[in-house]
Amino acid sequence: MLWAGPRARPETIKAVAAAYHLNDPLLNQLYYYFQSLLTGNFGVDPQTGRSILSEILFYAPNTLELVLASMVIIILLGVGLGYISGMRFGTKVDSVIRLFYLTTWSTPYYLGALVSVLVFASYIPIFPSGGNGAVGFTYNSITGIFVLDTLLQANWAAFESGIYHLILPATTLALLSFGIVPRIMRSSILDTRWSTHVKAARARGLEEGDVRRKHILRNALIDTTTVIATTFGWLFSGTIIVEQIFAWPGIGQFSYTAIVSDNYPVLVACIFVFTVGVIVANFIADIIYPLLDPRITLGEGG
Amino acid sequence: MSTEASRLRKLLMSNPLSVFGLVTTAVFVILAILEVVSFGKITPFSPYTPNFAQANLGPSVSHFFGTDFEGRDIFSQVIAALPIDMGISVAVVVVSALMGVVFGTLAGYFRGLFDEVIMRLTDMFLAFPQIIMSLAIAATLGPSLLNVTISLIVVWWPPYVRLVRGAVLAVAAEDYVSVSKALNSSFLYIVRKDALPNVLPSVLVYATTDIGSALLTLSTLGYLNVGIPASMPELGKMVSSVSYNLYLYPTQVIIPALVVMLMVAGFSFLGEGLRESLDVKLRPHILMRGRGIGKVEGGQKRIPGPIPALSNSAFPQAPRAPTLGETPS
Repeated sequence: MLWAGPRARPETIKAVAAAYHLNDPLLNQLYYYFQSLLTGNFGVDPQTGRSILSEILFYAPNTLELVLASMVIIILLGVGLGYISGMRFGTKVDSVIRLFYLTTWSTPYYLGALVSVLVFASYIPIFPSGGNGAVGFTYNSITGIFVLDTLLQANWAAFESGIYHLILPATTLALLSFGIVPRIMRSSILDTRWSTHVKAARARGLEEGDVRRKHILRNALIDTTTVIATTFGWLFSGTIIVEQIFAWPGIGQFSYTAIVSDNYPVLVACIFVFTVGVIVANFIADIIYPLLDPRITLGEGG
Repeated sequence: MSTEASRLRKLLMSNPLSVFGLVTTAVFVILAILEVVSFGKITPFSPYTPNFAQANLGPSVSHFFGTDFEGRDIFSQVIAALPIDMGISVAVVVVSALMGVVFGTLAGYFRGLFDEVIMRLTDMFLAFPQIIMSLAIAATLGPSLLNVTISLIVVWWPPYVRLVRGAVLAVAAEDYVSVSKALNSSFLYIVRKDALPNVLPSVLVYATTDIGSALLTLSTLGYLNVGIPASMPELGKMVSSVSYNLYLYPTQVIIPALVVMLMVAGFSFLGEGLRESLDVKLRPHILMRGRGIGKVEGGQKRIPGPIPALSNSAFPQAPRAPTLGETPS
């Protein structure tokens, strides 16, 4: 029903049912489902007639570019602000930083994105209002990520255009999703700052810089890594709004158009891709974890 | 009880964050309740009737927030949307917190197969990005207020289960609970007297901030035009309905979105203030899948997540007393 469209004729419905094995026993349908899933066969986009996999492969690298750029900003800004806020606990700097991250966290994605387009692309036109800057440049697609491709091929004009188009959406997405990172960072700094092992390190006469870097910062980063991995989920959710407003040709915008046009096959594929992204992010955090915290090991005997 | 309440009030008032949060949320909750009790009489204009002679006005004394492209008063539309935004967010969080308390207590107290099933279920749900998952459910179920509430609850309950389960696990290992078990106290008695008082502060703090998150997600669904019926006013939907007017009439777009932001900020500031006053630790692990579950000596599962105080002690299980008064799990 859904695949054939809301006003399909009975013959069309029958043809669709036959094409997707809908009259087969349930177990066979399950088999076909897993077979298609594992071979990356998401079917055909009913609106463009192209295979959904090829469309996803076109859009996904652009989203990856945006999300990774935001992630870099989140890690630098979130860890930095959280560290400063925690080390200056109770001062004015602390209050200002906390007010800042609580406010950005409370801002809906659409408000932040619309305001940044309005201010930085219309009132003070220093950034382009949309697109990823690839229009008008010829380049060979190696990874599909525009900025990376042009960098690898030393195509500086295109690379500059890519970075120039990337700054505003990436910063917007990062600032709107990063609230939890400095929050956790600050609270774990506060936990470790006065703990006995830090006192012991100072008592042993270690230099203040060493104490801060190796004993306070490293311990505080453990919890923060966990949270940075969860931020990926927020970033992916945010791309739906941010990409739509910034006209960024990524999965977020692709799924937005799929939602508004009732394009269920595409929507299912997009959700699958997002979910895989979140699982991969968690997996990477699992790998980084034991590097930071020697008490945790992978596998047996942890 | 009254001393407890006055102590809480004193704590809240001592923190500027929570004072701001308390005032903001109180104003919005009162407005939403007034709007419902008065059957929409407190709006100065009808939020639905178009008046093209008055279209696209800027903010003024008669129209506080201006009017939209059909000449409808934006202030009235915002007031009319409050009960829906506020009601659904609160309902989602309350139902999720209740589910968390029930399932989390059962899982943390009885352990075993039930615990395992619940934990794997939460792992599964936490793997999906929240907005995207509820978007898919709401889009599939079709637009109705009940459906959008359901779609949010489906993605909202897992952190609560993990929060409560972790706290109950810690309580169940305490000696006084073993003694209570040995004295043949019933399961419900132990839960009421020992487990809940330890769990509720964290749930309360988490839930307060979480109403803000629920509101954010709800209004994002509204902005994407998913889930909210066409006839219902919703703040995110209002923003998207006029967003093509952004460059010409920015106030129309920004004011409803600012109201959402103010409401969310109110709840998160209140939650943050409460957290400081009640000294509840932030627990990132409840948002994660089964992190750090490893075998420890004795073959027992360590609680997932980096709570140093608990995970370091490798969590010795309390010797189980004969379970006479308990209901079998």
